[in-house]
Amino acid sequence: MNLKRTKLLVEPPATATSDIAFILIVFFLICASVEPDKGRAQVLPRSEPEKEKDKQSQTIEVELTRTAVILNGNPLTAERFARAIALKLADKTRDEDKIVAVKSRKEVPYSHWMQVTGIIEDAGGVITLQIEEEQTVTVQ
Amino acid sequence: MIVKRRQMDATIPAMAMGDIAFLLLIFFVILARARDDSHLQWKPAPGQELTRPQTMNASVVIDKYNVTHLNGREIPTVILGEALKKLLGENPAGRRTVMFKVHHEVTAVYFEPVIEAISEAGGELHHILKEEKKTR
Repeated sequence: MNLKRTKLLVEPPATATSDIAFILIVFFLICASVEPDKGRAQVLPRSEPEKEKDKQSQTIEVELTRTAVILNGNPLTAERFARAIALKLADKTRDEDKIVAVKSRKEVPYSHWMQVTGIIEDAGGVITLQIEEEQTVTVQ
Repeated sequence: MIVKRRQMDATIPAMAMGDIAFLLLIFFVILARARDDSHLQWKPAPGQELTRPQTMNASVVIDKYNVTHLNGREIPTVILGEALKKLLGENPAGRRTVMFKVHHEVTAVYFEPVIEAISEAGGELHHILKEEKKTR
């Protein structure tokens, strides 16, 4: 006796493909659009000529190297720097006294710069950048 | 004699729906990419107690190749200040936010002139960082 094999449906239902494609694309779009949008606001006073700076009260100077912080000439670790800058800024009442001049060497990475400026701002300091201007001098 | 009108089949072919949706979405994705900076390669520096900016008026990115971009388009640092001034116009304070996205390894020689240009243009800097949990 010959038994007939029942035919199975092997084709996927065509009407569902649009839904599958749509859901897949929405999934990939959401995955792709997860971008960081949180951060830290920073207020920087506009740059002013060197002469005007002389009139100001003594500003705190911070120099950054690739991995270290130098406060008024003394190299410090991040933890010690946080304590030292907080102490220095604690007794300052006027805004102009809270200005901290940050001078960075060329090789300072952004992550280190952000860490140090974050410490200064948390201590109540106002960041100002000290950038050396390049001048072209023609020698005859 | 009554002639019966032949009924036309007016169904939309379901098989093509997936392809249509797919092509439309690709079209919109390409359009969107041309305007934003999501195609740029950069990794944010870590930071704590981060906030989301209230407004976003311009976006400046320095990617991992130390190239500066304004709203997704490459721009030399020397003209960035002027371009930002035009872009921000006479916007009042609070509506001059510049999202600043810098690759964490970019050095001061590249990012400091950009910060200076943003500051000179009257932009309100908002550094975009990656949330880092506090270690005690």
